[in-house]
Amino acid sequence: MSIARKIALLSLVAFFGGCASAPPRYNYTQFRTEGPRSILVVPVINKSIDVNAPDYFLATIATPLAERGYYVFPVNMVKSVLADDGLSDANLVHAGDPHRLGELFGTDAVMYISIERWDAKYVVLSTTVTVELNYVLKSAHSGETLWKNHQVVVYQPQQSSGGGIAGLVANAIAAAIAKAAPNYMPLARQANGGAINLKGTGLPAGPYDGMFGKDSADF
Amino acid sequence: MLLPVLLLSVVGCATQHQRYDWGDYDPSLYGYYKDPTKLGELSASLAAVIDEAGKNHATVPPGIYAEYGYLQLQQGKNSNAVELFKQEENHWPESKVFMDRMIKVASAPVANTATSGRTP
Repeated sequence: MSIARKIALLSLVAFFGGCASAPPRYNYTQFRTEGPRSILVVPVINKSIDVNAPDYFLATIATPLAERGYYVFPVNMVKSVLADDGLSDANLVHAGDPHRLGELFGTDAVMYISIERWDAKYVVLSTTVTVELNYVLKSAHSGETLWKNHQVVVYQPQQSSGGGIAGLVANAIAAAIAKAAPNYMPLARQANGGAINLKGTGLPAGPYDGMFGKDSADF
Repeated sequence: MLLPVLLLSVVGCATQHQRYDWGDYDPSLYGYYKDPTKLGELSASLAAVIDEAGKNHATVPPGIYAEYGYLQLQQGKNSNAVELFKQEENHWPESKVFMDRMIKVASAPVANTATSGRTP
């Protein structure tokens, strides 16, 4: 790799630093074969001890997927309808057949998300808030995995006193945390952004984006 | 203070401008999950998203007609619900299978106790 290229790559990493570091490019072969237009977000598995985490998280996921150009099924309505059908147990739904969900909802793809961590730890002078998520998009037609991603967003406000955008964000987040309860919403949104929007690892543009089917150089 | 800084942080990864005007959809859904008595606020924010899009000749974001319609259905306002489910389907053909199913549910003469608001 040439020096210039290395520098370009480094600056890219710095640019995206707010989201995540740059992992290797995802293999989009199966995704491109199917070209999903619609995404159904099913109940989120919760491995954290915060029983409210799945609901709170659900309030952050529809908009970034829709903004990426996909039809996203109404998340709150889907949650209620699944519950009415006896499918409120996330583990059960995740273990089930995506093809069946395809029949029920007419969706192309199903998004399975699990919350690995959603916690705040307080130690004398420092607070660490962590949100860790796993995303798996499966085809409702073939059952194949179309895409997956993993995000960890950690905030340790007191230790991020450096300058630049990261410092500003940390300070802002610190202010939010200073209130009674930690606010996980900005972290969840940042995780979603890092999962969905990054070139090379995110979701390719959906059908309502002008780049639909034209972004294979990046995805 | 918080908001502009957060927006700045998102610029690094967001690849496009806002496609839709979501109004207060995210925060009001969060507010509702936090406190279920805030259903009225959620309902009002969904109605506002639809109104704003109408005023600006903009597209109502995916799922919003349906979410609003479902809240109407839960209140026994079945004909409103059907109308909204049809709107969702007309704007977003991907929703057809689901909306057709929900239109059937909402149009059933005596679907369940939740629809008793229709009887005189």
